[in-house]
Amino acid sequence: MAGARTAGETGTPGRRTLAIVEKAYRGALEKQFFDALYLAVELHRQLGGLDVLLRGRAVTYGVRAEPVPALRIGSRTLDTLTDPRRDLRTLMDAGVRVHAEESALAAHGLAPDRLLDGVRAVPDGSTALRWPEYRMVCYL
Amino acid sequence: MARSIPPTDVLITLMGSPHESERVTSALRLVQALLEQGRAVQVWACGYATLLTQNPLGEDKPRNLANWNGVYPSTAALVKDMLETFPGRLYWYGCRFCSDDRGAADHLPQVVMRPPSGYGANVAAAGRTLQVGVL
Repeated sequence: MAGARTAGETGTPGRRTLAIVEKAYRGALEKQFFDALYLAVELHRQLGGLDVLLRGRAVTYGVRAEPVPALRIGSRTLDTLTDPRRDLRTLMDAGVRVHAEESALAAHGLAPDRLLDGVRAVPDGSTALRWPEYRMVCYL
Repeated sequence: MARSIPPTDVLITLMGSPHESERVTSALRLVQALLEQGRAVQVWACGYATLLTQNPLGEDKPRNLANWNGVYPSTAALVKDMLETFPGRLYWYGCRFCSDDRGAADHLPQVVMRPPSGYGANVAAAGRTLQVGVL
C-alpha cells in the first residue's frame, strides 16, 4: 500500500526495517527486473515499512542519469534491463525512505545535488546510530 | 576420435558467475560486437556460467508481478537467439565437469559439452583467447 507507515501484513506497527545496499550492478542480463530493489518492494509490504541506505558503489543508483539503453543480443533489442533509478522511485512512491552515504557519494565524485528527488545524503555512521530504532537491519 | 573444433577468431572463456556482477553482460556484449563485425567466436562456459544455457530456464524469466504482461527472456533464450542469428560463426561449449558438479545436466541442444581435458583443443582453434572472470 502506497505510503504505508505503520503495519504491513505481518509487521509490527511503528518499527521499520533498515536495508543496506552496497553491492551494485549484479547482472543486468540475468536479473533484468528481479534484483535487490525489486525484493525491497516486497519486504516493505510484508515487514511494515522499509528504509534503504545506499553505500559504496550503490550510491550511484541514487543519482540522476540517462535512461538505461537497450542492448542488442542476437536478433533482439533488449529494453528490459533493470533501471535502478526507476526502481528507487517506485520504492519511494510506496513510502520507502532512501538515504545515500556522503563519503561514498564523494568517492564517486558525486555532489548531493545530483541525487534523485527524495533521496537524502546522510553522514557516515548516522544511520548506525539509529539501529536500535529498527526492528531489523539487513543487507540486500 | 577427438572432436574437431571449428576455428574461430576469438575464444571467450566465461568463468564469471551470473547474478554476481555485470561480467556476463559485458562478455555477451563483446561476443555480439565481434559477431556483428563478421568475426567467428566460441564461448567456453565454465563454473557457474554453465547455468546460463539450461533448458529448464525456458524462454522467459518468471513473471514480473509488477509488470504482469512484461516479457523478459531467459539467458538460455538469449544464447539460443545468438546461436541462431549467427550460424556457423558462434559456437557455445560447456564444461561438462563444472556443469555436472552444479547439477546442470540439461542444456540447449546447440551447446556442446566438453571435458576439461579438451580445453586445450579449443584454445588451439582460436586466434585469441580471452579469460573472463575466475572459477
